[in-house]
Amino acid sequence: MADVFQVLAEPRRRDMLALLTDDERTAGDIARRFDVTRQAVSQHLRILLEAGLIRERREGTRRWYRARPEGLAEVRAYVETMWPTALADLKAAVEHEHESGDDRRN
Amino acid sequence: MTGETEPLRNQVRIAAPPELVFAYFTDPARVVSWMGVAALLDPRPGGTFRVDVNGRHVVIGEYLELDPPDRVVFTWGYEGPEPFVEPGSTRVEVTLERDGEATLLTLTHHGLAGDARDAHAGGWSHYLARLGPVAAGRPSEPDPWIAGD
Repeated sequence: MADVFQVLAEPRRRDMLALLTDDERTAGDIARRFDVTRQAVSQHLRILLEAGLIRERREGTRRWYRARPEGLAEVRAYVETMWPTALADLKAAVEHEHESGDDRRN
Repeated sequence: MTGETEPLRNQVRIAAPPELVFAYFTDPARVVSWMGVAALLDPRPGGTFRVDVNGRHVVIGEYLELDPPDRVVFTWGYEGPEPFVEPGSTRVEVTLERDGEATLLTLTHHGLAGDARDAHAGGWSHYLARLGPVAAGRPSEPDPWIAGD
């Protein structure tokens, strides 16, 4: 999951992902909307693909890209479980200190 | 579609008094016992809240309110040139309610979508705003997660 965050940390990749949530598009179509080389677009798409955030469909010589909802759901699930997990650890740590009676209360 | 994502809200009941629980948000040694590998904390309004989560991701924020032992509020983002969450763009609010010998802790994380949306006009906002509907099957506002004793 940490890797997905690294992938999303790049603003152009986030923009590309956003573009692909609405419609399936070709790399050429995507490249026209960004001020970067076609090569850079291909690179970003490859990284998004590897992270499972988009999927690729081949039709003849053309490749179509679209966001992969399950990929986004994983990010959301991470954000939603981060605090429950942390708070369970917090509970264990506080209760351990309290039970062992070494809390320094004023 | 353009609606603000609901804040994340979590609750946990801890069998210790609020005074002790509060220290787990202000004392670096105690913070790292439940979150991260290193912490640099300056627990006063405007003071730094910095937690190295795993050596690669560093949470950076600022204490906004400290009202021991009832309440602590700090901002939440990540360090780095292109952070996943922009520093200062989200806010974590912790309230501690005495419940007999125990403490009911409520943690509310505000702004994960709304402020991130402002911070990243365009794609990022679009992406975050869509997370809810896209992650179909999950309730948009999850029930508070309450850990048993």
